[in-house]
Formats: sequence, C-alpha cells, structure tokens
Amino acid sequence: MRHIPEDELHAYLDQALSRNQCVEIESHLADCHSCQATRDGIAALRDRTTALLARLAPPRSISPSYESLRRRADVVVSARRRRMRAVAWAASLVVAVGLGYGASVLHRPGRVTTAASSTSAQPTTFAAKSSDTPRTLTPLTTTDRPVRQDTPAPAPRTAESSPPTVRTANASPPTADAAPAAADSSRAHRESVLAVLDPVPAVELTKLDPPRESGEEFGGMWRTLSWDGAQAEAGKPLPHIDGLPIMQVQVQRAEGTRPLMVVAQQLTSGQVIRTIEGSATDVSQLLSRRQMSDVDSVQLRGTTRVADTINADHAMAMQLGDRMLAITGDLPSDSLRAMIRRMNAEMRSK
Amino acid sequence: MTDDLEHLYQTTYTAVVRFLYRKVWDAERAEDLAQEVFVRALSHRPDKPRAWVFAVAANLARDEARAAVRRRRHLTLLKGDPIAQPTVTPAADDTVEHDEQMASVQEALNVLTPRDREILLLWDAGLSYPEIAAQTGLAVGAVGTTLARARRRLVDAHDRQNSDTGTNAAHS
Repeated sequence: MRHIPEDELHAYLDQALSRNQCVEIESHLADCHSCQATRDGIAALRDRTTALLARLAPPRSISPSYESLRRRADVVVSARRRRMRAVAWAASLVVAVGLGYGASVLHRPGRVTTAASSTSAQPTTFAAKSSDTPRTLTPLTTTDRPVRQDTPAPAPRTAESSPPTVRTANASPPTADAAPAAADSSRAHRESVLAVLDPVPAVELTKLDPPRESGEEFGGMWRTLSWDGAQAEAGKPLPHIDGLPIMQVQVQRAEGTRPLMVVAQQLTSGQVIRTIEGSATDVSQLLSRRQMSDVDSVQLRGTTRVADTINADHAMAMQLGDRMLAITGDLPSDSLRAMIRRMNAEMRSK
Repeated sequence: MTDDLEHLYQTTYTAVVRFLYRKVWDAERAEDLAQEVFVRALSHRPDKPRAWVFAVAANLARDEARAAVRRRRHLTLLKGDPIAQPTVTPAADDTVEHDEQMASVQEALNVLTPRDREILLLWDAGLSYPEIAAQTGLAVGAVGTTLARARRRLVDAHDRQNSDTGTNAAHS
C-alpha cells in the first residue's frame, strides 16, 4: 500500500482536494500510523507557519469607508475623461501659440527683441517655433505665462478670427476678440500638465479653479501661480534653471507644512524640465506615484499613456535634510545630474 | 454587483494591507496601495474581483520596489554631495521586542525563493489553490508541492536563526 505524499497531505489539510480524493486519503489514514504521524507533523508545521507570518502584520488601523473609496473611483473615471479632453486642448494651444508668436515676430520684430533683451534674466516666453505663414493673428496675452508686471509684453493685437480650437462645455462663448480663447486654452494646458503630474489624487483635477493670485489656502490641492506670486508665497527664490523660459509654476501646500513646488521649464528643443522642491516625503511620493500611474495606464488600461512628457525614469533627486530637490525630464541622466548640482550650489550660495 | 465588491472590501481589505505590507514594509504605504487597489477595482469592475485585487496588489508592490531601487540609485549617484540621512525615530522599549521578532521572520522569509514566498503569502492572504495557480501560472497540482516546500523552509530558516543567536548568547 502506498503512503500519502507530503504535498498531498498539505493540500488535504488546506482543503484543496476533491471529495473523492479526501475519502481516499481518510480511509488510508485510518489504518496507517506512519501517515498519521506525518499528517500531525504537517498540521503542526502549518500552524507554525501561520503563527510566524502573523507577526508580520502592520499595526492595526481604521480602514476607510467603502463609500469614500467609491467616491474616489467616481472621480478617477471622470478625471480620465477630462484628461483626454485636456490633451486635445494642449494640442490646440501649441498651434495657437505657434501661430501667434509667428505673427508677432513677423509684424513687430523690433518690439519683440526689446522684450526679450530687457527680460533676459527673467524667463518669460515660450520658446515657440515660428510658423512660416500664419493665417490668423493671435495675441499673446500675459495669462499665458508668468510675466513680470513691468515687462513690456508684445502688445496684444485684435485678431480677425479665433484660432481653430475645440471648446469645452463650460468655456465662455466665442467672441471676435481672441483673448478669452487664449485664456481658455491656457487653462486647458494647465489641466493637461496637472493630469500628467498628479494622476492619482484626481480630486484636485475636478476641483481645480482658475488660478488665484492671492495666497488662499488649498490643503492638498495644486494651484498654478504666476512667477511673482509663487515667489512671494515661497518667501525665497524658487528652484529653477536659470535662462530657460518658465511655462508654469504649481504649488501644493497643506497646512503647516513646507509647500511642494513644481516649476516647469522648456528647453529650446521643446522638452519640458520640471524642478520639484518640497519635503523629502512629498517629493519622493510624487515621483513614485507618477511612476506607478505610468505603469498603470500602460498595463491596466491598455491605452497609450498621457504622461508621455514625463518619464520618471529620468528623474534625479537630491536630499538635503528633510528637503528634497528633484529634476525630471527626458534627458540623459548626466545632464540632469549636472543641472541639479548646479542648482544646489546656487541655492546654497544664496 | 456593488454589494459583491463591498462585501469583498469588508472581508479582504485587512488581508490586502497585510499582503502589501509584507512586500513594501511600510504600513502607511501598504494602506495607500490597498486603497488604490480597491479604487481601481471599483472603476474596473473585474469578473473575479478577489483574485484581481491580489493580482493588482502584487503588481503595485512590484512597481513600488522598482521605484525604491531607482530612487536609491539616484541618491547614491549623488553621493559626493551632502546628503543628510533621514532621521530614525527611536522606538519605544516595548516595540523593540516586537520589531526583533518581526525582523527574524522577515529574514527567514527572505531565505525563500521569490516564487515560494509569493505563493506562501498568497495562501496566507486567503487565496485558494486555483486562485493562486491562476495568478502565478503554476499548475493547481503544483501549489501544494510549493507550499509544502515553502512552509518547511520558512520554519527551518527561522529555527536555525534562533538557535544561532542562542549559541552566540551562550558564548558571550
């Protein structure tokens, strides 16, 4: 008579066998003392394993209500839709800015040069590729980018028609003046960057309001600020790379904590570099979340990821005390490393 | 349908947190990830939610580990620069013993091969043989064999460790 192999006894005790197999084993066990002893040994082994593993438990905590998770899930679904819309908007913004910049270069070359030279220290404009024959004139308004108040910006010109753009449901009605359209698309642009930056707590996305210049508190939410506003808020120089145009400054501040700042800048090649500064936990969480969601959108949703502009593989972080400084961008790690070193040296010398 | 997921949440949330904790070794992070798992389950509505939840949890834990490695690498790259070590909060006396006990099991668990460890943790999280088989690509019949080996190794490794420290203590 054959004895019962050990793994079968494990499966038996784990109740993973069919009724027939169980009957077979039980009838054998009734007569076989050797197998009885083995079974008892395995039962003890099982119990010990369970007891050992039970030590590896986190401290007990209160689980969030099911309802709260449902709300989060609802927000994620609607944010996903918004994000897709935001991508379309961002694309239209690129067209609008390209055309507008091209137009202003063609029509007012002298003025633009003055603006550029007087503000060389302050990053102000998009590095736009001029389009050769713009058919519409789109003014660049100051809402598009953080410009110092005293900076002579290219004078807005009234356009004959709005640039070809899509509109969201809540967008203001089209007018002959293209300025509202530019404001709309700049908001859409912000939303798209937000979606890229902060995909997990999507609550912020749905609640995002137009930018506020005042220092109003938004616990845990991203705000987009002007350069000066952000600097006032931080009370110190913002982390950024000298000489590159600034696209956007975002701040998240929970009460009583150090603000988390994200400064987006554009290289002449069109790539976007983001400088992140904040408490070490916030920054590393931001970086890791971004990675997580990249993988998520590729693996689980099976769609192309929105976060193409950010590849968290290209991130460089430096920790100084409880602060962390990070740079992300699609650049070789050597370049990022050089940048972060330089920035760190500058910040310490100030 | 909603009730199914809600029931699953009520019955397995703690198990999912524990499962994740044994991979990321950070209680808060484990909870964040577990919530993320259920939020995703709610928006995806998988057919076999229990198996799905653990599969996603395993994926998230894997990504998390990779991200941690990457962060460490970046930070070591910059070793030449002044990097302050994060301060470790001193543990209270009663937690020290608990921590030591935990560390010894953790160490024993590390002796197992990744696959054996995964299967043992999935079993401990309450998955059935067929569910474990589906998630790991193992044949159902092989789950028992793997569990038998994993249990034996875990207990042996733990016992060996304890007898080692026992001898050391006797000598000193």
